[in-house]
Amino acid sequence: MPSVPRWLRRVISSPILLTFLAITLGLVVGSFVIILTTAPVLDAWRSLFHSWGGPGHAIKTTFDYVGAAYRDMFTGAVIDPNSLWHSITTGQSWTSTLTPLSETLTYATPLTIASIGVGITFQTGLFNIGANGQAIIGGIAGVAVGSSLHLPTIILLPITLLAGVLGGVLTGALPGLLKSFTGAHEVIVTLMFNYVANLILLFTLLSTPLQQPGQGNDISRNLLPGALLSPLFGTASGLRVNWGVFIAAGVVVVAWWFLERSSLGFEFRVSGANPHAARVSGINPRKITILAFLISGGLAGLAGITEVAGTTHFIDGGFLVGSAGIGFTAITVSLLGRNRPVGIMWGALLFAALGVGGRSMQASTGIPLDLATVIQYSIVLFIATPVMVQEIFRIRSRATSGLQLASQGWNT
Amino acid sequence: MTTIVSSTTGALRPRLRLSRDQVIGTLAILLGLFTMWAFALGSSSRSNSQLTFDPVNTSGTLPWHVGNLTLATRLTCLVAALAIIAIGAEILIRRPKRAVMVRFGAAAALFFVAILLWAARTHGPSQVDFVNLTSVLVGGIAPAVVLTYGSLSGILCERSGVVNIAIEGQFLGGAFLGSLIDSVTHNFFLATLGGVVIGGLLGLVLAFFALRYQSDQIIVGVVLASLVISLGSYLNLQILTPYPQYNAGSPAPNLTIPLLAKIPVLGPVLFNENGYFYLVIALVLFISFGLFRTRWGLRVRAVGEHPRAAASVGINVIRTRYFNVILGGMVAGVGGVALFAWQGQFQPGITSGYGYIALAGLIFGRWRPSGVVVASLLFGMSVYLANNLQTYQVPVSTSILLMFPYVVTIVVVSGLIGRVRAPAADGLPYKRD
Repeated sequence: MPSVPRWLRRVISSPILLTFLAITLGLVVGSFVIILTTAPVLDAWRSLFHSWGGPGHAIKTTFDYVGAAYRDMFTGAVIDPNSLWHSITTGQSWTSTLTPLSETLTYATPLTIASIGVGITFQTGLFNIGANGQAIIGGIAGVAVGSSLHLPTIILLPITLLAGVLGGVLTGALPGLLKSFTGAHEVIVTLMFNYVANLILLFTLLSTPLQQPGQGNDISRNLLPGALLSPLFGTASGLRVNWGVFIAAGVVVVAWWFLERSSLGFEFRVSGANPHAARVSGINPRKITILAFLISGGLAGLAGITEVAGTTHFIDGGFLVGSAGIGFTAITVSLLGRNRPVGIMWGALLFAALGVGGRSMQASTGIPLDLATVIQYSIVLFIATPVMVQEIFRIRSRATSGLQLASQGWNT
Repeated sequence: MTTIVSSTTGALRPRLRLSRDQVIGTLAILLGLFTMWAFALGSSSRSNSQLTFDPVNTSGTLPWHVGNLTLATRLTCLVAALAIIAIGAEILIRRPKRAVMVRFGAAAALFFVAILLWAARTHGPSQVDFVNLTSVLVGGIAPAVVLTYGSLSGILCERSGVVNIAIEGQFLGGAFLGSLIDSVTHNFFLATLGGVVIGGLLGLVLAFFALRYQSDQIIVGVVLASLVISLGSYLNLQILTPYPQYNAGSPAPNLTIPLLAKIPVLGPVLFNENGYFYLVIALVLFISFGLFRTRWGLRVRAVGEHPRAAASVGINVIRTRYFNVILGGMVAGVGGVALFAWQGQFQPGITSGYGYIALAGLIFGRWRPSGVVVASLLFGMSVYLANNLQTYQVPVSTSILLMFPYVVTIVVVSGLIGRVRAPAADGLPYKRD
């Protein structure tokens, strides 16, 4: 393509453009799901030939509903322009104007941490599909410490967070050790442990002293005030965004340094990129496998306790279950961010916005929150298949490498 | 390229890995010791357990009655425990070359018997003081049937070299559509057809991404499964909650085979089941025969082991893989309908990890239909025990009991796959020159 200027070619073949196109395609898939499952839209298309105005009406209805859904998603996750204008002109109700942003940041905080954990295993060529279970155990361990030890904040908060990390580390050790000593494939071990972790959660909440005293339901004791990550702008502000944001930012920086600058991180990446070369150059695969899972589990545990200490302040039977399962979203976020800490941070913000916006969309249009999840998974499917995205948008460039991990199939 | 990758990754295994025999033997001995401690010593010497054999609901119409068998709980559990320990010791000392899995299966069966006898002992916490062997077997076979469908799907895909982690999603798709169709038409034949269609479509999507674009199969599989699960939850809220008449199916009726169904114990277990049971048996036989005795099977295995060599003798690798992955999807889709037909109603969490357990069963069964059946029975029985031990009021929390199948799966994949070898090209993308 001699006529295309060099800068344009660079843009075209950059992974960032592909990511944006994948996001666009994901939103398109989401609109098809809305069209196919929303009764008024379907009715409009059914009466396509009933009158001259049929086609126009059908198209208008479709755009109305899909547009309203995505508009609600945006205003619920980022900012509502009307409300912003109102706040600027009158100087009032800043809380409700900033709530969407605050919610997105609140949700993105544990998601970033957990996703970086998953990303580290991906970079090492391993699958950690059990981040959700590890985060649950981390949350339980953190609550056990943070709800029972009456200590000043300066001690209690760190050891609560540490307990969360330890819970995750212990849980992450299981697939790591099993993989390196018995050859059990980490995908199955981590998947199964997610179910086990959910049941451990129920057991903890129903049959141990962690259950809220005087309660028959599956609900834990509250964290002591000293164990909480307090809201950034004070409790009175009504904005839930909390000091956990700085933990997440710290994790991003440290993880970036670890993966890009430290020698151990280099060993991780070599093991992921070319296991054979890693082994030949004297890297002990067993050590790397175990360490990667310990770190990944620890971060997942930290994510779990950050969620509790920053947002919920207690855990119940719905902790990280279903669409709240940040450990599952973390897999997709990590792939979206191409397993790099900074990319993951942006990915986590986007997916947090989709989740928060999805909730607001559910409230105002009645379209279930799961739509946001469907969009997220579609985006990742496109991310994992860059060649298809290039074909759809007629982009010709050198073959961009897709997400290929060292761990393919059961023999590795 | 493919061959280089597969041969080098083989060499990458850490050498200091415990041998399979050691792991299995040790596990069996630990299991035996646990049985002795928890069940033999955990019951008083005067306790008895009763085994009954007549089907609970139709006992009046049976031509034969089988008497009840009363056993001394402690003694029987002790014998079972010692037998398990003996099996473990035999594996450790003799290091048998063949049939290690069979030995472990026997140990697991003894363990299940000991659990049930202990749970049903007289003077125990519950009023129920008998174990009905027939209903235990019938109850264990229901989940085993579903798991077998999943594992067979895995065999079809992985023997041709494509890892299918989306079985969980195909189960859910089949269960959803099967339930929808059964609610509207009350016809299980159409419901099965629906399962075939949705499973095949999901298989097609997986094959499309894995074969056309050489995407990472595990990533695509996990994402696809999660996508279908959220879609199921979405549709459940969007369609099934406002219109409950679309989720008003019922369990599949039993097809009783005349005469044979009247055989004690075996009759109700093997000849009075729903259609999905007979279908899965037919599939097991069919796939065994097809894979190992026909030209098609030879081609499939060649494609899964060494696609380059297969291509060089004129086999169309991509087409073979497409065919198998779609076929596998269809089988898993029917498995989803079988899951619905067992439970009788669709709910978003209906699959509860069975698709992933089926994958473990595939590995445990060493990519063979016969092995997969044994694995599914083991997992199916664990599912049954997890769900039903509560009726005996065992002094263990429900949540802990429900962990049983998942823990068994973890133990099995970590203890048993050891040196089990997947098809050599399993999971590796194939590029034509």
